[in-house]
Amino acid sequence: MQRWQQYGGLLGLIAVCFAAGLWGFTSTGGALPWAKRSAKALQRGVQEGGGALVDLGRGIVVAGPIRKGGMMLEFGGLVALLFVLGIGLYVYVDRCGGFGEEGRSAQ
Amino acid sequence: MAHIHLGEGSFPLWALLLWTLVGAGLISAIVYRIRNGGIKTRQIALAGIGAAASFAVFQLNIPVWGGIHMNLTGLVGILAGPLLGGLIALVVNIFSAALGHGAVGLLGANTLINAAEAIVAYYAFKALMGMDWDVFPASASAATLGLSAGAVLMGAIIVISGVNGSALPRGDLTIAVAGLVGLNLGVAVIEGILTGFVVQFLASVRPDLVGLTDQETREESTGVTA
Repeated sequence: MQRWQQYGGLLGLIAVCFAAGLWGFTSTGGALPWAKRSAKALQRGVQEGGGALVDLGRGIVVAGPIRKGGMMLEFGGLVALLFVLGIGLYVYVDRCGGFGEEGRSAQ
Repeated sequence: MAHIHLGEGSFPLWALLLWTLVGAGLISAIVYRIRNGGIKTRQIALAGIGAAASFAVFQLNIPVWGGIHMNLTGLVGILAGPLLGGLIALVVNIFSAALGHGAVGLLGANTLINAAEAIVAYYAFKALMGMDWDVFPASASAATLGLSAGAVLMGAIIVISGVNGSALPRGDLTIAVAGLVGLNLGVAVIEGILTGFVVQFLASVRPDLVGLTDQETREESTGVTA
C-alpha cells in the first residue's frame, strides 16, 4: 500500500480519536484526574468544564490510592521485582535459547 | 487506558457475577489454548518484561487530559501475542487491585477490557502488516484501534451494569459514559503513537521480536561471513 495512504489512514484515525477526546474532556468536567472525573460523571451526569489539556506543572504522580494509602514501598518493590524477573528471564532465554522445551511447544 | 475506576459495590451483584464469569471464561480459554498449542519461551520472557512495564505505567498519572494513566496493553499485545496479552492483563489488574487501584470485585470486567485491547491490537497489527504497511503506521494504528475497542467495551460494561447509587436515568448515564469513552479515545492517540515509536525501534534492532523475521533468520544474518 502507498505510504501516503498508510499515514493518511493513521492521521484520520488520530483526528477522529482526538476530536472524541476533546469532546469527552469538556463534557465530563474539564481538567480533572480520571478517577474524580469518572466518579463525578457517573453520579451527576455530563457537566461542561474547561482547563488545560496539558498541565506540566502537575508532573507525573503515582495513582492516588497507592500514594495516599502509603503503598509506595510495596509499589516500588513490585515494579522492581517484575522488572528483575522479566529482564532476567529475557537474558536467560536470549543466551541459552530457551528452557530446553522448545521442541515440545507447538508454534 | 480504559479501566473502570469505581469502588467496591459500585456494580449490582448480578453484573459483578456476570463480568467475573465472562472474564474467568476468557482466561480459561486462553490457558486452554496455551496448554494445547504451547508458546515460545522467548514470548514468555517478553511477556515478563511487558507485564512489568504495563504494571509500572498503569500506576503513573501523567498530566495530560486532566490526569490519566496509560496501560501499554496495545504494545503488550503486539509483542507478546493475544494469549499472553490476556494473561498479562489479568496479572496487572490483580496487582493493581491489591494496591487499591481498581476494585477487586471488578477484576473480571477490567481484565476483559484490557485483554480486549491486547487482542484487538495484535490482530490489527497482523492485518495491517499483511497489507504491506510500514511498521510505524501499522503499530500506531493497531494500538489506537485496540485501545479504542477497550474504551468502547468499558463504556458498554458500565451502561449494561448500571451504577449503584447513581440517580441518573439510563439515557443520561449513557451520555456520561460516552463522554468518558470519548476521553479514552483521546488517550488512545497518545498511547498509540508511543507504541508506534517503540515497535518501530524494536523492529529496527530486533525484527524477530515483532514477528517480522524468525529467530533462526536473525541468528544467521548476524553470523560473520567470509
